[in-house]
Parts: sequence; C-alpha cells; structure tokens
Amino acid sequence: MRIFILIVLALVPPAFIGWMVRQGLRSPAPAVQPAGKARPSGAEADKTLLALFQGDLAGAKVKDKVGLYDEKGLFDYIDGAAPIFIQRHYRKLAAAEMASADGADMVCDVYDMAEPANAQSIFDAEKSATAKPVPDFPDAISGPMSFVFRAGRYYVKLTAFDAKAEAALPGLAKALKGKMK
Amino acid sequence: MSSNGPPGPYDRVPESRVRKGSQTAAQTDTASMDRRGILRVGATAAMALGSVALGFGLRDRGSHKKTRALPTIKDHRADKPAGATDMAIVRGPDPAANVRRAVEALGGMGRFVRHGERVVIKPNIGWNRTPEQAANTNPDVVAEVVRLVVAAGAGKVWLTDASVNTPEQCFARSGIEKAAKAAGATVVRPDASAFREVNVSGKLLRTGDVLFPFVEADRVINVPIVKQHGLSLASMALKNWYGVLGGQRVKLHQNIHLSIIDLAAMVKPTLTILDATRILLANGPTGGSLADVKQMDTIAAGSDEVALDAFGATLLGLNPTDVGFIVEGMKAGLGTPQWQSLKTVELGG
Repeated sequence: MRIFILIVLALVPPAFIGWMVRQGLRSPAPAVQPAGKARPSGAEADKTLLALFQGDLAGAKVKDKVGLYDEKGLFDYIDGAAPIFIQRHYRKLAAAEMASADGADMVCDVYDMAEPANAQSIFDAEKSATAKPVPDFPDAISGPMSFVFRAGRYYVKLTAFDAKAEAALPGLAKALKGKMK
Repeated sequence: MSSNGPPGPYDRVPESRVRKGSQTAAQTDTASMDRRGILRVGATAAMALGSVALGFGLRDRGSHKKTRALPTIKDHRADKPAGATDMAIVRGPDPAANVRRAVEALGGMGRFVRHGERVVIKPNIGWNRTPEQAANTNPDVVAEVVRLVVAAGAGKVWLTDASVNTPEQCFARSGIEKAAKAAGATVVRPDASAFREVNVSGKLLRTGDVLFPFVEADRVINVPIVKQHGLSLASMALKNWYGVLGGQRVKLHQNIHLSIIDLAAMVKPTLTILDATRILLANGPTGGSLADVKQMDTIAAGSDEVALDAFGATLLGLNPTDVGFIVEGMKAGLGTPQWQSLKTVELGG
C-alpha cells in the first residue's frame, strides 16, 4: 500500500506540471466533440471528393481551385455554421467558385458527410421553410439563388449571385449527382 | 539495548514497545520503518506541493510576458450629452435615409466624431455574398455612414473587416468596397501586414492580432447586419467584433459567448448602427438562399451594443435573454438588454 502511495505521489507532479503548462498554452476544450465514428479512409475519400469537380459539369468550370476543409478549417469557411456539420460526423468539405457556361459566377460546396444518414440529417436541418422541392430530383430543394441536394453521403449547396447563374444551377446539380452514383 | 532479559536502566526502549508491551522483533523493525516511511511520504508530498507551485508559475508564463508589452486598444466611447437620445429606430424604404434620420435623432454625427479625428468603420464583410443574400451589411447603409463621418470632419476614415471567405471576393461581391471608396473611405483589406498584436485582456482571449485601424483610430463605428447564426443564435453588434481578429476562427468558437464579450469589451465602439434593411432568418451566418431573407427596412442606432442586440434579437423572433452573449454582455457591464428602458426614439417611414 505504501509503495502504491509513493508511486502515485511520484507520478502526480510531472503529470500536474504537464497539465498546467498545457492549459496555459491552449484555448479551452472544444464545445463540440469530434465524431467518434469510423470514417472512410482520408486520402481515398478526398480523391473521390475532388474528382467530383473534374470532367463535364454542364459547361461549368472551376474558376480557381477547389478548397478542402477539415473540421478545424471548416470554421474558416462557414464560421459558426460549422458545429451543426461536425455534430453530424462531417468528414470534409470541397468548395469552389465556379463559372457557368455563359460566364456567371456561382459557388459549389460539396460536404462529404461520411454516411448517407448524416447527409440526410443535415439536409433536413438546413431545409428552408419557403424553399421548394425540385420535380424529378429527390432530396433536392431550390430557393431563389440557391439549389441544395443530397446524394449518397454528399450534401451539396449551390449558390448563385445573379439570374444567369441561378438558371445554371439545376444543370450543375444534375451533373454532380451523376458523378455521385 | 541487550537482546536478552529485561532492559537495564540505560537501555533505550522504543515507545511503541513500551506501549504495546509484547511486540516481536519483526514488529519492531516495522515500527522503525514507519518513521522512515513517514519521512519518505512527507518528502514526496512536499515535492508534489512544490511541483504544483511550479506548475502555477509556469502557466501562461510566456503569454503574460507578452501581454504586459503589447498595446491595448483604447476605450472609444464618447461622452453622452445631458438629455441626449440613447437609441434611435427608423423604418423606411431608403436605407441611406434611415441612417441619416437615426444619426440625426441621436444628435448628429458631430456628437460622436470631432474634426480631424481618425475613424474606423466596421461593417460585416465576412461573406462572398451579394447584398440581397443578407450575409453582409447593406452597402448603401455603409456608404451613408462614411459620408456622415466625412461630413463631420474626420481626418481619416478607414473601413475594414477580417472576412471569413476570400477577402477579394467578399469586398467586391458585397458591394461595400466600391460604395465605401466612392463615399470617401480608405478601404483596408485584411492582408497579413494589416494586423497588429494587441493585449485583449479578456477572460478567454489574452492577446490577438487585430486590424491596425482599431489600434490607431480615435473613434470606432460598428455597422453590423442582423442575422441568424447557427452557433450563437444571432450575429449582430457584439458578434461583429470577431471581424477585427486574424488567425484561425475555430479557437473563438470554443466558448463563443465569452469570446464575443472579450472582443466587445476590448473595442468599446463610439457608435453602432445596426442594419436590419434585410435580415437573414435561417442558415446563418453564411446564408445564400433568398428564401431565408426577410426585408425589414429598419435601422437602429445608439451606443449601447447590448440594447441594440436585444432589439435585433426580437427581429429574429428571439427572446434576448435566451441569447448567451447578450446576457454575458449585460453581466460584463457593456449595456442593458432592456432597450425599452433607454431614451429611445422610433421613427416611421
């Protein structure tokens, strides 16, 4: 018993010093715990995600580059909207500014939610009350300047900035969905 | 002591033996070990206590050193003239006219900005969104604030924000850069060279990299938009101070309400003009779909950010006391959520 107490007392000081120093060097613990669920292998899933932006996309082209955002980086892209994705076991976001075939700007955000159920959950959570379902496109809604859909484990948000880009959103959505099969 | 027979008059008899009377030799060893053991335990405990003290000493050692050496942002609030209006709420179809009427109701821009002063204006330019998508402050509102500040005789008018999305896209797409420049502002984009490290002295944030106009300005004018926010419920005046900081935003969100108040307590603006021309009711702070936007044609202005946020919360259908940073702002002495208790003027369209 005495030996046990001595061991405990000997271990406490270095552990405590380490803890105190660490507390001083970092911010408080995250409010949202990262998902504990097993996810698709990182590199392979990233490759699949980026491949969605390649090839024919109804004439739309990536203007600059596709950005990839992990859990931490997501705050730098969508700020306080990030936790509702992270709570749903979000894996990674691929985001790109695109130009439609006639040169109108739009933004394409593809969230890899790791599992179809997670994608369905965020789709339901973000559904605008006044957005309309899209005929012949299950799990899709469109609002002015916006087209949102879910396919498999992906949740996709397309945003337009003018009427020309808005008209191009359904075509881009259809092309992306075709690549998600 | 002798090992056989009763102890002689000079033999030292252990107390424990005397007390217990009939202990064996093994028990005697144990008894003397107890004393050594007690010494060992005592020494280790002393070491542990010393380590605790050392741990406290090492904690934040570096950042405290920095904190002492860094500049602190001054209190930008202006004195309130006797009998002056605290808050003005104006409704009407013309955003610029609403701003003018609200500032006039507070006593005019001259109450807040004096001749030759350097002024920084802080709209929300966080997002690659158009004005109609209501994620950024309305450019007509921002431009009118710039014009009023220039007309009040400001020596320098900066306009800046640390955008969340790519700054070039945000400043252009929002329409704010073009409108502000045309009105006479110097637009400062959040390039790496635009930040200065300052002492925040908050409960959570000790230091931070802040856009330089906030360090150099005599007056600060906050021009936020009213919108829903996924994590903090709302983004209005107090939350808009996230946009003074550089660096990764994930740290700020770990305790969002307290970090909002840390930054608001650091800046203490001269005047706040709350833009509710269009408000974002859902999927904030990013928005995107016009289905989430509501036209309100309202401007509220004043110096009490907590009161203005409490009013803004009601536009979003929220009870102000359900919004954590409003409650924390009140606790920190930054204002009152009882905006109706202030001297308020409401003007229709």
